[in-house]
Amino acid sequence: MAAPAVVRALRARAARVRVGKGDKPVTYEQAHGPHHIAHRKGWLSLHTGNLYSEPGAAQRAVEDAFVRRFLRGTFPGALLAPLVLRRRGRALLVSALLGRALPPAQLLFLQGYAEALLSALYRSPVRIELLTVPAPPVYKHL
Amino acid sequence: MTRGWLGGRSPCAADAKMAPVRGAALAGCWVVLSRCRGMTVVARRFGAAAYSSAPAGSSKEGQQEEAIARRRGRTQQFVRSHISPRTEKMAVDQDWTSVYPTAAVFKPDSVPLPIRMGYPVKRGVPPPKEGNLELLKIPNFLHLTPPAIKKHCAALKDFCTEWPSALDSDEKCEQHFPIEIETTDYVSSGTSIRNPKARVVTLRVKLSNLNLDDHAKKKLVKLVGERYCKDTDILTITTDRCPLRRQNYDYSMHLLTVLYHESWKTETWESEKAEEDMEEYIWENSRSEKNALDTLLRIKASENVTREELLASDVVKNYRNSVIALKNEGETENNMSQYKESVKKLLNIQALP
Repeated sequence: MAAPAVVRALRARAARVRVGKGDKPVTYEQAHGPHHIAHRKGWLSLHTGNLYSEPGAAQRAVEDAFVRRFLRGTFPGALLAPLVLRRRGRALLVSALLGRALPPAQLLFLQGYAEALLSALYRSPVRIELLTVPAPPVYKHL
Repeated sequence: MTRGWLGGRSPCAADAKMAPVRGAALAGCWVVLSRCRGMTVVARRFGAAAYSSAPAGSSKEGQQEEAIARRRGRTQQFVRSHISPRTEKMAVDQDWTSVYPTAAVFKPDSVPLPIRMGYPVKRGVPPPKEGNLELLKIPNFLHLTPPAIKKHCAALKDFCTEWPSALDSDEKCEQHFPIEIETTDYVSSGTSIRNPKARVVTLRVKLSNLNLDDHAKKKLVKLVGERYCKDTDILTITTDRCPLRRQNYDYSMHLLTVLYHESWKTETWESEKAEEDMEEYIWENSRSEKNALDTLLRIKASENVTREELLASDVVKNYRNSVIALKNEGETENNMSQYKESVKKLLNIQALP
């Protein structure tokens, strides 16, 4: 039985940037829709929970959602791309692509603060790696 | 002379440290010009005299920090001096294990390779490595180059013990340690180390290493059923009914012990073993023997030979061997031709092809 029309319509618009006049710069991540995952895009979150017959998928998903929201608020306006989360054992490694909107001293403070808070929350080491670029990496214009 | 202006970068010819700003609107402010490697940064500083304030740490790109003043309130972009990436300062014969000593994220300014990754735009090339999220997503093995692994091995050598010299071949290992126990440990992301699949224990042993006579072996094979592989002569017992691995191991050893002892015992009802229960074909007291002997007796009725004489004769022995081979090993070219020859000899019909 097919999904209801409303759901199908919503799915057709999910995670896609609509084509415009050609003046909208989009990153590689935004330019490719979800059907390109595993073909042209990788996964933003890597952990063993999504493998066959491995436990913990739901817990990792909830943790991921919280970490993304939290860091989006911690680095206001500076995050240029979705976070890349990786888990190595029980450690959570976050890679963030930032623009240069904040001075390095503040960036480092926010990084340390976020690491300490998240590590205390999840009782496992959380390491955040920041990568700054002068401008958002434009892939194409839509 | 450089003009200071909001948020911009301007090339500077002179090596001026400080210069008053042109423009009445900026009266009373000093502009700090910091020069490094080509491009300069211009930042505005209110109030007190400008000074270089190098921040406490360095950015994650490993670039050096230059004089950058604190901002107040403005949300304009923080322009930093364009310092060349670390890759340009790397020697060709540097020690790569110090650049990537442990598993780390891909840092485009620390990896001196011109890598591009991604699906190219039409009539374009894949995006470069700077700011490339795809390169961050994938696991990289830059910390596991052959020299790095050599160093790991050298460091681990101190903690290793030698393999016992007496066990230098597989046969000797099997002779001294006939039972193989297989267990699996699971590592997964997350704070929990528990995995219910880790309790499974598999025990493997070759029956030739156990002290079994013919009857015991046949009984054991019948008792275990599918767990015995005839081609490799290995009995495999997998236990997972207990919650702990040690319990499953004890249970599997207990099963092996019980099987061994039970197979040596002979119950009274085992004497009722019928022809259907036999594992292999036995010619003695079979229909084939009966039919063959009856036929031969009828053929040679006038000669008065006995069954024992017939059984001892070569033709019958030949026939017996060929029938046993056919039944036990199945139909092969060899077996069928052997059977044909033996039947021809038995019935004395050599003339036929």
